[in-house]
Amino acid sequence: MLIDRAPAPTLPRARDAVHAIAVLFFTAALALGALGWWAGDSFYLRLATEALIFAGLAMSVDILLGYTGLLSLGQALWFGVGAYTSAVILRDVAASFWLAMGATLVVTTLAGTVGGLIANRVKGVYFALITFGLAQVVAKVVYNTRELGASDGLIGVPEITIPLGFATVDAANPAGFFLLVLALVALLYAGLAYLMDAPFGRTLIAIRANEKRVPFLGFNPLVHRMLAYVLAANVAALAGALYPMLRGFVSPELLFFQTSGNAVITVIVGGVGTLIGPVVGSVLLTALRSVVGTWTEHHLIVIGVLFMLSVVVMPKGLVGAVRPWLQRRLSGSESPR
Amino acid sequence: MTAALSVRDLTVNFGALVAVNAMSFDAAPGRITSVIGPNGAGKSSLFNLISGAIRPTAGRVQLDGRDVTGQPPYRLLAAGLARSFQITNLFFELPVFENLRLAAQIHETPLKALLPTRRSARALDRAEELLDRFGLTAKAQELAGNLSHGEQRRLEIAVALAARPRVLLLDEPTQGMSHGDTAETADMIRRLAGEMTVLLIEHDIGVVMALSDHVVVMHQGRKLAEGAPAVVRADPAVQAAYFGHA
Repeated sequence: MLIDRAPAPTLPRARDAVHAIAVLFFTAALALGALGWWAGDSFYLRLATEALIFAGLAMSVDILLGYTGLLSLGQALWFGVGAYTSAVILRDVAASFWLAMGATLVVTTLAGTVGGLIANRVKGVYFALITFGLAQVVAKVVYNTRELGASDGLIGVPEITIPLGFATVDAANPAGFFLLVLALVALLYAGLAYLMDAPFGRTLIAIRANEKRVPFLGFNPLVHRMLAYVLAANVAALAGALYPMLRGFVSPELLFFQTSGNAVITVIVGGVGTLIGPVVGSVLLTALRSVVGTWTEHHLIVIGVLFMLSVVVMPKGLVGAVRPWLQRRLSGSESPR
Repeated sequence: MTAALSVRDLTVNFGALVAVNAMSFDAAPGRITSVIGPNGAGKSSLFNLISGAIRPTAGRVQLDGRDVTGQPPYRLLAAGLARSFQITNLFFELPVFENLRLAAQIHETPLKALLPTRRSARALDRAEELLDRFGLTAKAQELAGNLSHGEQRRLEIAVALAARPRVLLLDEPTQGMSHGDTAETADMIRRLAGEMTVLLIEHDIGVVMALSDHVVVMHQGRKLAEGAPAVVRADPAVQAAYFGHA
C-alpha cells in the first residue's frame, strides 16, 4: 500500500477525536477571521480564503483516497471544471452566485459520471494513471480553446454580491468572502463527515479495506466507486467554483498536475481518511508556501523537503499524529488501545 | 421436491486446464451437502462458480429452480445465496461489530444508507445477535485483524450468515482450527441445517462423515461419486482416489 493506514474512521473514539479537531479548527478560523476584519487586513484574509478553497479540493481527494481507497492524480480536473463553469456563468450569463454553484453541480455530475465510468474501469495504479491522463487531456483542450481564453485563462469575472437571505455578502470584501467560504467549507466538512459515517460511507470504507469481499455482502462495488467518484468530483468543483469569485479570473494551470499533486500532498500531510486533516493541511501548506516564498524563489524545494520529513515523522499525517493523544484525553479513564 | 441448489454440467477452463469439468449435483433443502476431494480437485473453483466469483465456461446453476448462472455475487446474495471463504476474507482494519453490521446492511432499504447508521436498526440488531451467537460480544470493538485465528474463522462464518441466506456455502470452515473449535463449529453447522441449505467443503473427513446428508466427491475437476456418507466411503473408486488404500 502506498500510504500508511490511519485507524478506521468507523472507530467511535477515532471519530470523536477528529470531530474535536474540526471544532477547534473552525473556531480558531472564525476567531482569526474576526481579528483580520478588526485589523482591516485584506492580504491574509484572501490568502486564508484561497487556502480554504483548496481545502475543498483536498477533501475531495480524501473521499477517494482515505475512504474509498482510490488515488486520484487528476482531481484538479474537477476543480477546474467548477472554476471554468462558474467563471463562464458569472461573466457571460449572470453574476449570480447561486446560478454559478447550481450550474457547477449539474455540469460536474454529468461530466463526472462520464469520467467516473472511464476511470473506474480499472483499479489501483491504473486508476491513478487514468485520472492523471483525463486531467491532462482536458487541461490541454482548455489550454488550446480560444473560447475559454486558451493559455491566458478567462479574465474579467465580475465581482459579485451573494444574497444569503439573512444577509448579503460582497465577494470583494475580504472578511465577508472569507466568512462565506469558511461557512461553506465547514458545511461541506460536516456533510461529508456525516455521509462517511452513514452506511453509505461505511460501504466505501469497506471497499478500501477489502474490496474483494464487498460484493459477497450484497453491495455492487462499481456502483459505490462511481458514487464516490461523482461525489468527490462535485466537492472539488464546488470549491473550484469559488475560485473565480475570489480571484476574478481562472487559468488552465488550475487543471494541471501541479494542482492535483498539491491536493494529494495536502491530504497526506494533513491526515488521510480524516476529512479535517486535508483542511488543516491546506491551511498549513498555503501559509508555508507564502512564508517560504518570501524568502526564496526555490520554495518548492523547501516544501518538498518538508513534505518528505513530515511523511517520515508523521506517516499518518498531522491529524493522525495528534489523534491518539486526543483519543486518550477524550476517553478519560478508559484504557487506550 | 425442487433442489435448493442445482448444478448442471458446470464447467470452467483456465486456459488449457479444465478446473471444473461438467459437474452436476443437487443440494436438498435444509440438508448438508459436502463436497470433498483431494487438493486441486476443483472444489474451490466450484464454489467460486456457484457464488458468482468467476463465470462458468458452460453449464447452469439454479437456486430454487431459478437460473442464476453467471450472476454477480451481490445479485446472488439478494437471491439468498451467501458464502464464506477458505482464506479468511474479512475487513481486518474494521471492528468486529462493523464487519457484521456491513454484512447485515442488506436487510435495510437503500435509503437507509444515507440516514445515520443508528437508524439501520435491523442491521444493528442482526449484528448484535450474531456477536452473541458466535461468542464475540466481548470483542465487538476489537479490530477483526486483532482476533485470534479461531475467532476470525468464526467471524468469517458469522459474516456469511448475516444476510440470513437460504443457501450457505462454507469453504473449509474449520481450516486451521483446534480440535475443540472444530467440534464446536461442526455442532454449529449441524444446527444451521434446520434453517438453511448448507453446501460444505471440508478437509476433516470426520466432520464430513458426521455432518453430511449427502457427499459429492470431486477428482481432477470431475464428479467421481456421490451419495450418502457411508455409501461414498465404501466406494472403491473413491477409496482409490481420495482415502488412499483403506
